[in-house]
Amino acid sequence: MTVIILILLVGLSVYTLSSGDLLHGTIALSAFSLLSAILFYLLLAPDVAITEAAVGAGVSTVVFVWAIRATERKDAK
Amino acid sequence: MKGRKYSFSFVLQVVLSLSAVLAVLLPVFLAGNLWPTAARDYLERNGVKESGAKNLVSAIYLGYRAFDTLGETIVLLVAVSGTITIIAHSGISLAKGFAGAGLAKPGSKSQLIARRTELIDVVTGKLGPIVLIFGLYVMLFGHLSPGGGFQGGVVVASGIVFISLGSKTDRSTQLQKAGVLARLEAAGFLFLVFAALAGILGGHGFFGNPFAGTGASAGTYIVALNAIIGLKVGAGIGFMCVAMLGRVD
Amino acid sequence: MAERVLLILLCLIGFWGIIAKKNIIKKIFGLYILNSAVVILFVVEGARIGENAPIMAEGVSHVADPLPQALMLTAIVIGVCITSLALAIAFRLYRFANTFDIDEIRRKIRHAST
Repeated sequence: MTVIILILLVGLSVYTLSSGDLLHGTIALSAFSLLSAILFYLLLAPDVAITEAAVGAGVSTVVFVWAIRATERKDAK
Repeated sequence: MKGRKYSFSFVLQVVLSLSAVLAVLLPVFLAGNLWPTAARDYLERNGVKESGAKNLVSAIYLGYRAFDTLGETIVLLVAVSGTITIIAHSGISLAKGFAGAGLAKPGSKSQLIARRTELIDVVTGKLGPIVLIFGLYVMLFGHLSPGGGFQGGVVVASGIVFISLGSKTDRSTQLQKAGVLARLEAAGFLFLVFAALAGILGGHGFFGNPFAGTGASAGTYIVALNAIIGLKVGAGIGFMCVAMLGRVD
Repeated sequence: MAERVLLILLCLIGFWGIIAKKNIIKKIFGLYILNSAVVILFVVEGARIGENAPIMAEGVSHVADPLPQALMLTAIVIGVCITSLALAIAFRLYRFANTFDIDEIRRKIRHAST
């Protein structure tokens, strides 16, 4: 089960770094955090799972969306 | 195929950097040693007795390795104040947030409100207090079930973001004013230093449990430390997010 | 073993994002991915030696190692501090140069200092 989630994480990270729209990359990063929170729960670490879910899918996404919203959103590659 | 020709120096740079990175990473990933079990065995036997917390992770970062927690609160303090200073001196006023950076007409708070729909106001405004209560529960029960100071603190920060996103201009709570949050964070850090020094007064050393000899249960100190750390982390990260969303007044 | 191969791939993808991408926000994405890969590595290694979560309820024994989990809590919170500071600096650079491209920014800094 953990191997499947790790394969999905690798796929999501490649999509984050090579997407043309920065907002799509931010949402993919938020999904990355959610999947790693599920992975931490499966790996018998509930404290780390709560922290990663609240930090990655919450605070970190808000900060990224602010930075993109205040500046520009497309990446000319 | 586009048929780009890579120069020799570019290929050399790629090969050298890749081999340097792999020379660092491969011994970590290919080591065949077994993970040592000495720490786990000792903590299983003595962890609950010595610190009073059933959650072994809380026992570690509040009891055995409390200096790491103190250093991390200092890092949070420096990072939050550094972020706010860099944003505030960049030429836009914090009260307008991203609206002042040129995406909307300056001074048009109505435009800022018109961008949000009723859905966000209703959902986040009503869910905000529920998330805050959940954060308080996670913070205060951290010694018996998964949770603790950091976990509860970041959930409280998410709750503060919810409240500040969903509020209309006429009704607002104290918790989304940036001045209040900044003072709460500073107060939390001060309380942490006092709690650490309280052990010295009882003769148990820095970060020692001041209730260890008296009749109170040993878990009281852990709960107090959890509450203080949660207050500090929640107020700090909430302050940073509220300032970024442009609700500073 | 397969988990370690995938984690080293994740570390290499993070490094690739930091080094090879021209956009500053993509570099910060790479930093965050590298941080997450190291955290996952520690928790995976710590979970190999036990069968229960480290909450000592009645009759629980043979728990997973709680020491890497406690250290990774600190690492996650410091990761979000690093990311927010890096994004604040990137915001300042954008206000100065009006672009996120690192080559353009270097050119403008060289122009402005001569």
